Parts: sequence; C-alpha cells; structure tokens
Amino acid sequence: MVETTEKRPQRRYVDIGRWVRLGMGIIVAGFALWRMWNVFFVQQEYGLDTWTRFLISGIILGSVYAVIALGYTLVYGILFMINFAHGDVMMLGAFAGYFTLEAFKGRGFLNQNAGTAALSVIAAFMVGMALSMVVALLLERIAYRPLRKAPRLVPLISAIGASLVLQNAAQLMFGAERHTYANPDIIDRSTGISFLVQGQEVLITYTGMLTLGLSLLLMVGLLLLVRKTKMGKAMRAVAQDKETAALMGINVDRIIANTFAISGILAGAAGVMWGLHMGILYHYVGFIPGLKAFTAAVLGGIGNVVGAMVGGLTLGILEAAGPAILGLPFQLKDVLAFSILVLVLIFRPTGLVGQVLADKA
Amino acid sequence: MRSRVFLTLVVVLAALALTACGGASFECEDEWGCATIQKGETIKVGYVGPTTGDYSAFGIDITRGAELAVAAKPEINGFAIELVVEDTQGTPEQGAAVANKLASDPRIVAIDGHTFSGSTEVAIPIYEDAGIVMVSPSATTPDLTKTSSLVFNRVAFTDEMQGEAAANYIYNTLGIRRIALMHDGGAYGQGLAVGTGEFFKALGGEVVAEEAITPGEADYSSPLAAIAAANPQLIYYGGYDADAAVLVSQMDGAGLTDAWFFGCDGTYGTQFINLAGAAAEGAYSTFVPIPESGAFTKFREDYQAAYGDEQGELSPFSPHGHDAMAVILAAIEKVAIQEGDTLYIPRKALAEAVRNTSDFSGLTGTITCSETGECAAASIIFMEVENGAWVLGPGQ
Repeated sequence: MVETTEKRPQRRYVDIGRWVRLGMGIIVAGFALWRMWNVFFVQQEYGLDTWTRFLISGIILGSVYAVIALGYTLVYGILFMINFAHGDVMMLGAFAGYFTLEAFKGRGFLNQNAGTAALSVIAAFMVGMALSMVVALLLERIAYRPLRKAPRLVPLISAIGASLVLQNAAQLMFGAERHTYANPDIIDRSTGISFLVQGQEVLITYTGMLTLGLSLLLMVGLLLLVRKTKMGKAMRAVAQDKETAALMGINVDRIIANTFAISGILAGAAGVMWGLHMGILYHYVGFIPGLKAFTAAVLGGIGNVVGAMVGGLTLGILEAAGPAILGLPFQLKDVLAFSILVLVLIFRPTGLVGQVLADKA
Repeated sequence: MRSRVFLTLVVVLAALALTACGGASFECEDEWGCATIQKGETIKVGYVGPTTGDYSAFGIDITRGAELAVAAKPEINGFAIELVVEDTQGTPEQGAAVANKLASDPRIVAIDGHTFSGSTEVAIPIYEDAGIVMVSPSATTPDLTKTSSLVFNRVAFTDEMQGEAAANYIYNTLGIRRIALMHDGGAYGQGLAVGTGEFFKALGGEVVAEEAITPGEADYSSPLAAIAAANPQLIYYGGYDADAAVLVSQMDGAGLTDAWFFGCDGTYGTQFINLAGAAAEGAYSTFVPIPESGAFTKFREDYQAAYGDEQGELSPFSPHGHDAMAVILAAIEKVAIQEGDTLYIPRKALAEAVRNTSDFSGLTGTITCSETGECAAASIIFMEVENGAWVLGPGQ
C-alpha cells in the first residue's frame, strides 16, 4: 500500500506511455494483418504443402533452440547471470559427438547393422553430453565461482571472455574448416518419412524426428527434475534466496555446480542433435544458435523453464515461417525475429510466460 | 602553442634530413612518390585474402600460388622479395583494416589481391590514396574496373563474363527454361546471380523466384521451401562452397527433389564435395581451365612438393595468385631504379607498367591488360559432380 501512494506522482507519465504503446501496437498489428491478407488471399504464393514445410523446419529448429535456452534459463534463474559461453559449450559437445561418430566410422562399426548404428548415435550423445557437462562445470569453477560476490556485470564479462576462449581453443584444436557429421546411413540427413499434402510430397527427416523427440524428452525430464525431485526443490530454494537456503542446510555451491552440470548436459545433447540434423560443424557453430536461444529464453521469460520452451518454439517457427507470412524476403528473418522480441518485451517486459523459476519453475 | 611550434620544427628538420639523405644522389620524380628500399631491406608485396575462417581454402591456396611465383623470382637487382600475407577472413570490414595497415607501410609496393570482391571494393580507394598498385587473382564483380582506377587490375574473369556464359549454357545446352536465383547477399554472389538472371531473361527464359540467404548458417530449409513453391527446374546460386554445400544437402527435404543446382566459380572445389557428400551429385559449377603447358606442369609439381596437397584441391585460384604476383614482379623489375645501395620504385610508373602488361605468358594463358585493368586470359567451362568428383558437364 505504501508503495502505491509513493508512486502516484508518476502515474500520468505511465498513462502516456501506455497510450503510445497501444497506438504502436495497433499500427504494427494493422501492418502485419495487411501483409498477411496479401500473402494468404491476394497472392497465394505458397500452397498448403509449403506451409507444412515451413512449420516442420520451424518446430525442429525451435525445439533445438528450446533445449539450449533451458541452459540459459536455469543458470539465470539461480545466479541471475547470463552464461554467454553456453553456445560454445554446445559447440564443444557437437565436436565430441562428431569425433565419436568418426571413430566408429573409422572402425566400420557405424553401418554394420541397425543395432551398431543406434549404439554409435547413443555413444555420440553420451560423449557429447559428458564433455559438455565437464566443460560447464569447469567454466563455473574457473570463470564464475570466484566472481560470485562481485557486482553482476563482472561475471557477465567473464562469460563473454570464456566464450571467446572456447571458440578460439576449438579453432586451434580442430582447425577453421567446416566438418560434416558422419550420420549412420539409417538416419541419413536426406531420408525420412514423407506424406502427401495437396498432392505434394512433404518430407520429415529421421534426424528431424530424432531431434524433436529427444528435445521433448529432455524438456519433460527437466520439468520433472525441477518440480518433483529433492534436488529440484533445493534448486528452487537457492533461486529464491541463497542465504536462507544455506541456513536450511542446502549446500549452495553444490546446487549451483549441479545446475551448471545440467545446463551442460542439455547443451551437449543440443550440440549432437544440431550436428546430426544440420550436418555442418565448425568452431563458430555455437555462436548464432546460442544467441538465438538466449533470445528465446528472454522471449519466453528468462528464468522460467516453461518460458524457455515456449520461447524456443515461437522463435523457431517465427524464423522459418515469419518472412513468408508477412511476404518478406527470407534474408530478413532475423530482423523479423528480433522485432517480435522487442514488441513482446514492450508489452510484456517479463516475456511471454513470465520469469519465475523460484515459485513455479 | 609551444608544443605545436616544437612539432613543426621537428617535421621541418625531419624533412630536411630526408632530402639530405635521399636527394643527394637521386631525385624521385614520380607523381605518387617512390618506395625507397635500402640495402639489406626487402621489397614487400602484399597478399590479402581469407587465410582463416570459412573461406580459408581460397586464401591458403592463392597464398601458395603467390609464394611459388616469388620462389621463381626471389630477388630483383639483389633485393629480396618479401610476401606479406594478411588475413581478411573474407569480410569487407577486415579487408579495409588490412588495407589501411598495408598502406601505412612505406615498403609495400604492390598487392596481390584482394581475394573477394567485397573486400576489394573497400580497399581500392585506400590503395589509391597510398599509390599502391593491385592485381587481384579472384575479385570478379564487374563494377570493380568501372571506377577507372589506375591502381586496380585483375587476372580473374569477371562475373559478367561468367553470368553470360552460364545463362547461355543453362538455356541452350541444358535446355532449362525456368530458373530460381539464390545468393548470399554479398557483392560477389548477389551481383553474379542477378546478372545471370538478366542474361537468362534476355535469352527468353523465366526467373521464377529469388531468395537471399544469410551466409554461415546451418539451416536453409525455409528459403528453399519458398523457392520450391515456385517450382523451378534449376537453382542458380551465387556464393561460396560452404553455404552451397548446406543448400544442396537440404534441397530434397524442401521439396526440390527434381530441381538442379547450378553453382558458380565460388562453389567449385573438392571442399564442396567433402561437405555435401552424396547430396553434391549432379551439382554444376563454373570452372576456369588452365591450359596445359610445361610451366603449368612444373607449377603443379612444385605445389605438390612444397605443400603436399594436389594443386586445385583447395580452390581453382592458385594459378591466378601466381600470375598476379608474376605480373607484379615483372613490372617492378621494369621500373625499379638502382642508385648505389638503394633501390627506388616509382609508384605511378609501376601502376602504369602493370596496366601496360601485354603478351605476358602466365599459367592462365597469355596475359594482356585492357585499358580498364582486365587482364584475364582464361576461358570458362562448366563442371558437374559425378561419383564424387568434378567432371566436364555435358555438351561442351
């Protein structure tokens, strides 16, 4: 009550802002509707089959963004720090998976039969996730823990530095050239299940299905972990109040390390999925997905696990179908995605879902 | 105030000192001044291109061509040639930064480069100010020679020549009537794709769609699906191999199973096949064949001996890198003036000597520069991927 009376003198200013926002919203919505009217009813450039393709590639891309975004959101929820090196942790996971598959391929194990192929892929995921977990733990120990008590900007700078170190280390170790993921033949990147939409064949690749399925599995698993387990409870407690959590007998350092380990595992899985589905891999591959996933986390509400999923899928679909919906060239997809981000943040500063890891996870 | 007086004094003294040393025996009468090389110093020639990053195959390969040209003529009048390699990572920003760095070095007399058109475009005015002559092995945007700059020359054929030849080949030889254009939005890719589209339309063909992609990404399935909606017979792509490899890998999934992929000279090379794997089958690209000659056979042997790789594996441009450097060195030899222990290289005379190059026998053919600085000797052919290797396309 006291707070509202104190804020009253500013009330008029806030009202003006609201009107400006409303006006802007109407203009933008009107423009978007006009473009959409044009695309769907006047030009009818794309058939239903094309829209299905946009949607499929958007959902797959979005699910990868969501898994990476979970890592950002977990760390932010607990430490209020943005781990900018997260995308590079993913890149290292992708490289670990790549070398695992290459090793199996070199021994002819990859394509002996379906069983060995499945084993190779599982091994690639295991190695990728393990390596990413170790890297994330090391990052926390070396770059972030010593700065836990420092002002908030300091660990942020440290994170950017860590990102540069990881990128350049990868360039030195693996070279600057691009590598191609050696998929087993049964999940070759160009094979999949196709179905007919308006007489046109639409293909969902096996790698796409694998990516989507595994992403959903990881998301559900994480939700259960945060909501139902003792460790999840401890994580939420630390997110709410570190001192009090420590007084209740929770080992705060260990919980934070666990959080980084989980975010690393998610990043590693995302990296291997990225490699298997997209196929192309180099030292810089984590940068753009990392940035996009961070955007997705903010879009959904950073610090919120469900928000990261919603944000990731929204961003993926926006990127894949947005330019087509508005009749814009695809070169503008990032402009569009980030414009939507700005709009969402103007109207809902806490993101689509809101930012509360502590209360609801 | 006092510091300014002091500064002026220093400058005047320095100028006096310089004229006292240099002017005693030799007066540089060149409009752009002379590069002065003392005994024991080297004559520096720069190579600028992407030696790291996505497009490093081009930079590394052309550097080797230039190195071999220097190895064939290691010194002029007893002054050693030094090749200064600078990395642009293929970006115009880095290209401008590197050009400024090289232009501030008084012993840099010429540039073998830049490699990519975007980076070259920003570098020309910088070298023009500094009076440094350039011979580019691979910058192919047509506009580059239309600025009537005396410093810029190239031994690469232009995108205009390539676009016209490609449009002709696609329309007449392959019998295609509906094409879609894709490019990476860069100076080279966009200019080439749009130019080819113009020539194709002039022949009577139809350009049904055009999309630009953001280079360096891993997922182009959406722009490809948008292209697929227009149902083209063939996609003409202007850009480089890394992105082209991603495109061909994703064409089937986007509903372009029956469409052909037609790249350009930027997509030619084994890197494309390595990255795209089986998806590369049936893709076309442009290639500039090097005429067989004794010199070229020796070049290939030297290349293999020095670097362990087969010539032509990384990029097709190492002979161009060699020829650009050879033209530069021949011109330096022509204009250099030796006075005692000092070598003077008049800058404008050097630029003119490069521009007046005629009947120079290089690896790419007999090089003669036009008035605008077009020195390309080679002809254009089209290659196709068959069983994991580039072979000559049909009907040539």
